[in-house]
Amino acid sequence: MTDTKTWARVKSPWVLHFNSGACNGCDIEIVALLTPKYDVERFGVKLEPSPRHADVLLVTGCVTQQCAERLKAIYEQMPQPKFVVAIGACACSGGVFEGNYNVVGGVDKVIPVTAYIPGCPPRPEAILDGVVKLLNALNPPKPKKQPKQAKAPEVAKPEAAVAQAAQGIVEEEKQVAK
Amino acid sequence: MQNSTVDMIGLIKSTFGDKVQIQLGALGAAAITANNGLHRDVLKTMLAADEKTGITAITGLDLGAIIGVYYHIHTSNVFVTIKTEVTKENPKTQTIVDLHLGAAFHELEVADLLGVVFEGHPSPGHFVLSENWPEGIYPLRKDVKANEIKLVPTPASEEIQLPENKRLVKIIIGPQHPALLEPEKFAVTVDGETVTKVEPRIGYVHRGIEKAAESRGYMQDVYLMERICGICNSCHAYGFVGAVEKILKTQVPPRAEYLRVIALELNRLHSHLLTLGHACLEIGYETVFQYFWRDREPIMDLIELTSGNRVYSSLMTIGGVRRDLKDTDIPKIKTTLEELRAKLPFYRQIYENEPTLKLRMKNVGVLSKQDAINLSCVGPVARGSGYDVDVRKDEPYSAYAEMPFKEIVYTTGDTWARMNVRMDEVEESINIIEYAVDNLPKGPFRLELPRSVPAGEAIHRLEAPRGELFYYVRSNGTDMPDRVKVRTPTFANIPSFLKTAIGESIADVPANFVSLDPCFSCTDR
Repeated sequence: MTDTKTWARVKSPWVLHFNSGACNGCDIEIVALLTPKYDVERFGVKLEPSPRHADVLLVTGCVTQQCAERLKAIYEQMPQPKFVVAIGACACSGGVFEGNYNVVGGVDKVIPVTAYIPGCPPRPEAILDGVVKLLNALNPPKPKKQPKQAKAPEVAKPEAAVAQAAQGIVEEEKQVAK
Repeated sequence: MQNSTVDMIGLIKSTFGDKVQIQLGALGAAAITANNGLHRDVLKTMLAADEKTGITAITGLDLGAIIGVYYHIHTSNVFVTIKTEVTKENPKTQTIVDLHLGAAFHELEVADLLGVVFEGHPSPGHFVLSENWPEGIYPLRKDVKANEIKLVPTPASEEIQLPENKRLVKIIIGPQHPALLEPEKFAVTVDGETVTKVEPRIGYVHRGIEKAAESRGYMQDVYLMERICGICNSCHAYGFVGAVEKILKTQVPPRAEYLRVIALELNRLHSHLLTLGHACLEIGYETVFQYFWRDREPIMDLIELTSGNRVYSSLMTIGGVRRDLKDTDIPKIKTTLEELRAKLPFYRQIYENEPTLKLRMKNVGVLSKQDAINLSCVGPVARGSGYDVDVRKDEPYSAYAEMPFKEIVYTTGDTWARMNVRMDEVEESINIIEYAVDNLPKGPFRLELPRSVPAGEAIHRLEAPRGELFYYVRSNGTDMPDRVKVRTPTFANIPSFLKTAIGESIADVPANFVSLDPCFSCTDR
């Protein structure tokens, strides 16, 4: 059962995007991921507006004072198991804004972070790579090899059976036509 | 109202005589020092003489024992700065909101960051800083150290004041909301479905960049300023660089000016395509959103081709540009732009004929020309309402005086007009880039300039994709600036949304709002 759940999760992670005071650079790259050139939806990644339905939280920005509590609240609303990806130099460490008066600096100062994707901003390919690495880290169950004894020929080759049946139907039709 | 070509500086000279000091050629056409409340009278005179007088920005700066308050005023033909000052012991001055509505947010910002009290302001309170900000600490004052400020933690859900009238409902949009890419809060009061009041709360993206710029070198600041906004980054870098070059009194080589124009226009192209698509997303028309973003990607590739970077071009530098354009890259630029131009009739036809778009955008959020002037709107918002402001035409900078392009003006003032201004500007931008690459002058593309800048102050205005971007830089002769002030276009345009949303359906709020092309990382800095 756990295997099935992990498999489902890895096949279709729903992501929530939260901007904690970013400059729009990373945010636009995340949106660009969803558009035709990169199109992450083909991997089952879906941008989800509600934290209660999301598996992965994508955080951008250097975490301003006003956003810190908000970010914590959103993280707490997400169901278990949940993963946080810090996208961009600001989210990883505070970036160029580190030390400013209104900046907490780094997502990991507020909530636990699973994966870091550095860059200012990271390219869409890099974000994609980061998400794939995160998903692989969940140890998704590999397709199981079936034991040799259980490999009965008629069961193992359903295609052949179907083809045989199809051939039969075609021949019947031919006879009817005659 | 009199004619618009009135000699404003002569008028002020004759009206006020020795009571004001006029320094010609500083901070615009002239810097007028008017202390002891006289700034209100100067502004009154200007408003009466020219109906297009408006406020671009208010800069507050710490000058030791006193705080300078500079009002940057534009009229239809001249840009002036009215200087006044208050003491730190008694930082009180009269508000100018009663004279010009567009000043309201500017005053709130100066009050928050420098502690100037504007007496008579209609809605005082925190605007940029958080509610739990300690009393009496004003971050832009020189005696405040950025890392010594301690904040009281606040609960995540702030207290919400419910409307007294039980018929009314308050809907809070943000800070985290699917329709907003950025964390901002708008409290919308509705009566049934009709919006009766909108209260904005910005500052969620306030990173204190203006303060940070004071503790970094000029070269570092170019990259810091660029990171105010990830969309119009070249414009921010150029705004800062342009102001510093004015203090240095340098003239950059013509090839550098042309390369800057190419970078600025590529910025405008990708920003406009982004917004045109985003507006469709907000009204639920996702197909067109995907189309626009698909066609934005080749422009991103061009930015990468010309600057080496996809998002932050980092092309601008003090004294020119960092990278030359290879002749071998020009055909690629031209074919990409040609492909985009070929797709424009299709998009224009969608905006003109598609019933969904017409229903959701026509006659939604109508802003009259007079309101656009009174609220000092800028950029496509002003031009959609028939108010023809475009810094590229009004006060050409860089190489724009040589570029052939039309100023796009629509008169209906609705969401549809604002989006169509951008649609037509895409075509104009393509023309500008094509002209620039065809007529690219030969020669150097960068000057070597000293790291430290002589004492002085300068302003720089430019037309960013969202409207006029204003920079004020003051240098004290060291290698770090004394004060950098940025007034971004969205900051000037938010009042227009607060005005147009009232009386309309709550369902029209997203479409109306996105037609400003709001960018809060710019607004909050």
